[in-house]
Amino acid sequence: MTTSVRTARTGRTVRTVRTAVSRYPVLLALVIAALFMVVPFLIVAVNAVKSPAEYSADGPLSLPDGLYLDGLKSFWERVDFGQKLINSFLISGAVAAGAVVLSVLNAYAIGIGRIRGRTWVLAFFVLANVLPQEALVYPVYYLSKEAGLYDTRLSVIIVFTVIQAAFGTYLLSAVLGRFPREIIEAARIDGANRWQVLWRIVVPVSRPTLGVLLVFFFIWTWNEFLLPLVMLISNDNQTVSVALGVLQGQRLMDATMTNAAALLGVLPAIVFFLVFQRTLTRGIAVGAVK
Amino acid sequence: MLTARRRTAALAAAAMSGVLLLASCGGSDGGSGDGKTLRLWHYEGPESAMGVAWEAAIEEFEKTHPGVKVKFEEKGFEQIQKTAPMVLNSSDAPDLMEYNKGNATAGKLSQQGLLTDLTAEVTERGWDKKLSAGVRTTSQYDAGGVMGSGKWYGVPNYAEYTLVYYNKDLFKKYGIEEPTTFGELIAAMDKFVDEGVTPLANAGAEYIAQQYLYQLALSKADRAWVDTYELYKGRTDFHDAAWTYGAETFADWVDKGYLAKSTIGAKVEDAAVSFISGKSPILFSGSWWYGRFKAEAKFDWGTFLWPDTNLTLGSGGNLWVVPKAAKNKDLAYDFIDITMSEKIQNLLGNKGGVPVAADPAAITDPQAKQLIADFNSLSEKDGLAFYPDWPVPDFYNVLVSETQKLITGDAEPDAYLDALQDAYDKGAPKR
Repeated sequence: MTTSVRTARTGRTVRTVRTAVSRYPVLLALVIAALFMVVPFLIVAVNAVKSPAEYSADGPLSLPDGLYLDGLKSFWERVDFGQKLINSFLISGAVAAGAVVLSVLNAYAIGIGRIRGRTWVLAFFVLANVLPQEALVYPVYYLSKEAGLYDTRLSVIIVFTVIQAAFGTYLLSAVLGRFPREIIEAARIDGANRWQVLWRIVVPVSRPTLGVLLVFFFIWTWNEFLLPLVMLISNDNQTVSVALGVLQGQRLMDATMTNAAALLGVLPAIVFFLVFQRTLTRGIAVGAVK
Repeated sequence: MLTARRRTAALAAAAMSGVLLLASCGGSDGGSGDGKTLRLWHYEGPESAMGVAWEAAIEEFEKTHPGVKVKFEEKGFEQIQKTAPMVLNSSDAPDLMEYNKGNATAGKLSQQGLLTDLTAEVTERGWDKKLSAGVRTTSQYDAGGVMGSGKWYGVPNYAEYTLVYYNKDLFKKYGIEEPTTFGELIAAMDKFVDEGVTPLANAGAEYIAQQYLYQLALSKADRAWVDTYELYKGRTDFHDAAWTYGAETFADWVDKGYLAKSTIGAKVEDAAVSFISGKSPILFSGSWWYGRFKAEAKFDWGTFLWPDTNLTLGSGGNLWVVPKAAKNKDLAYDFIDITMSEKIQNLLGNKGGVPVAADPAAITDPQAKQLIADFNSLSEKDGLAFYPDWPVPDFYNVLVSETQKLITGDAEPDAYLDALQDAYDKGAPKR
């Protein structure tokens, strides 16, 4: 457009027409994509408030006749859902905080400290990331049993702090690798030691990125299923996602109650996301504005 | 650079994560062997027949054992399946738990030495007298973990078998007689097809389809045939008369429209919903549906055994097992004894389960009476023939996909049987 030699007025008409033409397909595609994302959630929400008899008679796609909240209520009581929420918050919160701290420390050494052999260290962290959790089950079980931590929430916190920190280290190392050297050098000239550089310069400047990591770690840990299933044996220690499994029987499933439970399970993560949404967008945008 | 506000925020965050970590240090209260608590796990829903009966058993137990508390935890089926070997190998094992019967589950655990041998208790307390031969099969495992003989590692409270559920209202609506023989069943299905109704509910993606076929084969088989197939007593030939009849008849039924080809991808839940919603007049499946149909079907329905056969699918239910690492084994035996008592067994029957040791006269509901009477007649003629997927690990998936090919017509019955023979010979233990 900038090279156009037309008058301002005609130039603008051409531009509006063009943007309109190119925008609508994009909008349409976005609407369709959004529908694909929202429809499963809607189906869950609709079936969560149906009675089992209604579900069996009309199938999963019909609209409910009225609001049937017994499924939600009886699921809450059956699994003592309040306790599961506390457990999930405890585990996800501790993991998110711990993993971010660990990632910052690692990434400081790799990205800014440029330790020797950092490529190999990074490769190791990537490897830890791609390792399927199924492969971890037995070693983690054995180690925690030996350490007397089997069936404690602490064992899950330790394991996930390490797993999430592996990803965090990888990501943050790349971010900190491009950290403006001038700022650090200026601080060093002013007499700051390494520790002060980290906490007073690097962490405050990269706070938006750390905020994003925190949110992601929280939500990822919240949704974890396999390791908590294996490690948290007592019902008192279980997380929300494990509690949902109680409803899947050997041969029968309670479809409406499963939907009610799924709705209850996903709500806290959505609330958490909405609360921290601003941090999230800021963190993603921070790299773009330069 | 670091303002006061930021410092407090950082301190608060650090303090919070510290609190979280400290708070999470609380350990679990694994039971102790003081004889004061019974730790009990099972995975039946609180409103199912077993859930209700076992709730009553807990009450009864606490009444007869003053000072002893039952610490019951409801588990998910999947959690028990995935974690049982690990839990039982730790000090957190419960004193008593429900576990899936079969070679791949209870058999395997017994082989790994994780279960207590119950043989002495079983004979002393007379549980073996209460269980019929077919039900007993899944309680005993030999040194190789194969069911049917050897020591007792579990005790079932209930049984399960397959039966024909039929919608009486639909039969009436089309003026079709309720069948009592195999010939009448065929005639009834023909009439439904003429009326444009697909008579049989089916689920090609799960166990329903293979169970139709296995039942057809069973109607031409005997006990020795079942033992050969399920307990590896001899060589199974899939091209024998029974299997050939089963596969050919099944393919013929698909051609005649007794089963809809469109059900090839359907799940069990779809088949059940098509029966409950009154679309399909007949569903052949297990007694485990009974409670749900009772609660949700809004029409008049009945059940009968597959006509003109001595054998049908079924077995003992899931087992009570006592882990080797259990700390209060005597309490666990007492609890099993209570669940085998007539009172709890009758309750299980009245709630729509199939009890193994109930008094038929004490069952009041007419539909439940029919369910239990049919089971008793079956168990008298030793008619429980287990399930087709049992003999070989992962045979279930082979049966599902091969039966799907049979439904679409991609495989002829002959090729179908070849494929089964292949998978069976590869997977069955050599003895």
